[in-house]
Amino acid sequence: MTATRLVAVLPLTLLFLLPLVAALVLVLPGLLDATAFASMIAHPQFAGALWLTVFTGLLGTGLAVLTSLAIVHAAGSRDLSRGSGLFLAVPHLSLAIGLAFLIMPTGVIARLLAPLLGWTSPPQWVTTQDPWGFTLIAALVLKETPFLVWAFAALLNRDDMRRALDGQVAVARSLGHGPMSIFLRVILPQLLPRMAGPLIAVLAYSLTVVDMAVVVGPGQPPTLAQLAWTDLNDGDAATAARGGAGVLILSGLVLLLIFLVGAALPLLAPLRHRLLASPPRQDAKLFRLLIILWPAWFCIYGAVMLVMALQSIAAQWPFPDLLPQHATAAAWLRLVQDSGPFLTTFVLALATAMSSVAAAVAWLEWAPRRADRIAALVAVFALCLPSLLVGLGQYRLFLALGITGTAPALFLAHVLPVAAYVFLVLAGPYRSFDPRWNAVAAGLTAQPLRFLLRIKWPMLKAPILAAAATGFAVSVAQFVPAQLAAAGRFSTLPMEAVTLSAGGNRPLIATHGLGLMLLPLVAFLLAGWFGQPRWRMR
Amino acid sequence: MLSLRHIGLVLNGKPLVRPFSLDVAPGEVVTLMGASGSGKSSLLAFIAGDLPPAMTGQGDVVLNRTRLNPLPPERRGLGRLFQDDYLFPHMTVGENLLFAVADLPRAERLQRMEQALTDCGLEGFAPRPPHSLSGGQRSRVALMRALLAEPAAILLDEPFSKLDRPLRASMRSFTFEHIRNRGIPALLVSHDPEDVPPGGRVLEILEDGSLKNA
Repeated sequence: MTATRLVAVLPLTLLFLLPLVAALVLVLPGLLDATAFASMIAHPQFAGALWLTVFTGLLGTGLAVLTSLAIVHAAGSRDLSRGSGLFLAVPHLSLAIGLAFLIMPTGVIARLLAPLLGWTSPPQWVTTQDPWGFTLIAALVLKETPFLVWAFAALLNRDDMRRALDGQVAVARSLGHGPMSIFLRVILPQLLPRMAGPLIAVLAYSLTVVDMAVVVGPGQPPTLAQLAWTDLNDGDAATAARGGAGVLILSGLVLLLIFLVGAALPLLAPLRHRLLASPPRQDAKLFRLLIILWPAWFCIYGAVMLVMALQSIAAQWPFPDLLPQHATAAAWLRLVQDSGPFLTTFVLALATAMSSVAAAVAWLEWAPRRADRIAALVAVFALCLPSLLVGLGQYRLFLALGITGTAPALFLAHVLPVAAYVFLVLAGPYRSFDPRWNAVAAGLTAQPLRFLLRIKWPMLKAPILAAAATGFAVSVAQFVPAQLAAAGRFSTLPMEAVTLSAGGNRPLIATHGLGLMLLPLVAFLLAGWFGQPRWRMR
Repeated sequence: MLSLRHIGLVLNGKPLVRPFSLDVAPGEVVTLMGASGSGKSSLLAFIAGDLPPAMTGQGDVVLNRTRLNPLPPERRGLGRLFQDDYLFPHMTVGENLLFAVADLPRAERLQRMEQALTDCGLEGFAPRPPHSLSGGQRSRVALMRALLAEPAAILLDEPFSKLDRPLRASMRSFTFEHIRNRGIPALLVSHDPEDVPPGGRVLEILEDGSLKNA
């Protein structure tokens, strides 16, 4: 292997591939631990947790798919990618915290309703941590819908896709089909097969999410992910092993459900034929109402941020009052004074984003092209894996290496999903760079490195910065693997936020929720600003 | 009868096609000639009701005494053919055709679909995926699909330009024959003089956007 090949392949292999493979191999021995499985299955809350996991995971995914489709349909030919990118910057945990502040009995919605209904004390509703997990489902739908919209938009923005579909839509309309009929029969059947990756990622995430479930999910019983998580963090070795078995059962459940959905698809073939071959239909007027869905998402996220901002400075906030009586900066001051977690989060995000961008650029520039597909597949695969499974494997890896609770372990725990995301975001734009520029530069006798530094990378600065910002945001939001790797010796913002959410210091919870959200937002704003072209072309 | 009354196109405030009027009789094929960029395809898009937002159209489109301007494309009863056949790649040939057949009893719909395949010499092709057909076969299916929707007029946007030369002549006569049999007005847009059906009327869009009988 030549030196260039080594430079191309080594960084991403060391940061991402090797740790991933090692982590997955190290969870395998757990499969043989029959005692742990038996004690997990005998857990009094196991059956309830299993059912709750399936219920919240499937319903959350299903609703997110439906709403994202409705949004994509209602948008017609408008480009949704810019708007949906904004939502991706918001960490799941922030959204869960803000949503809780919005809908809990002393939340802003209850305060808004109070004067209308004459309430003087908080209503008796059980919203956050409701036993059915409806709040968890709502949080999942709110967060996963924009992700799916973003994935759909990316697909629709591809030149080949756009051109073919535009023509097909024009033909379909001339044949007497309304926009909804065309969306269902012409557009959707061509999009869905290409959306398998994002759809599986959403399903796997919804079934295995920990941080959101801790904040807004049910507790008695909790979801399986939470049940296993509690056990994993137990000092007792047998309990931790039971947690490990729980993680494996959960991962098996994810695989089983994906397999079942895959196996059920061929059964739908007759239905598919009936749908495709049905006569022209014009749209019901009601469908036009779908246009309000996407703006509604902006409003909800805006409300979530506003509520957290209010809560973070509220000194006293007796129930029916719409606004706090006094404002205080105490919680923000504490965040600044105890700046350890904030700084740790920031430095980790910066380090993981920069090293991932460097590794991804090295791979894309110098690795053979056929290796790209493999790398992309592995990245998608890694992002579909439950964070509990990867976290558990990494924890064992760090133990074996003797680096648990050290900065390198924390870095490796954060960099894995960051590298995967950065690679996926960067691969498309980087590979579609017009190779004729190379020829032009070579014609001007520019050396290869000079060409990269002066021509290619500056021309690609927008996607490179966007990938860096994405990586930064992904790192900021890491919870499960980070907490396990830190072993109590480090703390990051998400860890603090989850711990705090069990207590009652609402201003402090709110500052952490907002802080978590602001870091990625600032990163995206900076990337957008510096990624601007030198001139706006008209 | 398809009547265009003082229709024209404006692009960025400048007239692209100056207002003109035209009546196309049932069974007649009128050809609009013009260089690329002259706005002839956009004119068809305006008539069909899906002009891109950058352009504005003016004038009235009247089909059999109904003014079409306020109607969405799917309610105008105008068939369309393009350079590309735009057969839906995820549907079989049969599904592509059924997509256009009106809401009738199932047996009747299937019968119409089979008849259309017979009419274009593709019996038994219903279960095949479009990509397994030759270019000429695909074009014929696209024409049959457009006709199965029973359009009251048809708009042809250079439908022969991507076909191989020898195929082009036979596809032309095949298309014009079917349109004549249906007795519907047709408006053809082309830059190839050979596309003009024998004895057909021809209008040319000149460089200044005005139209001239050729």
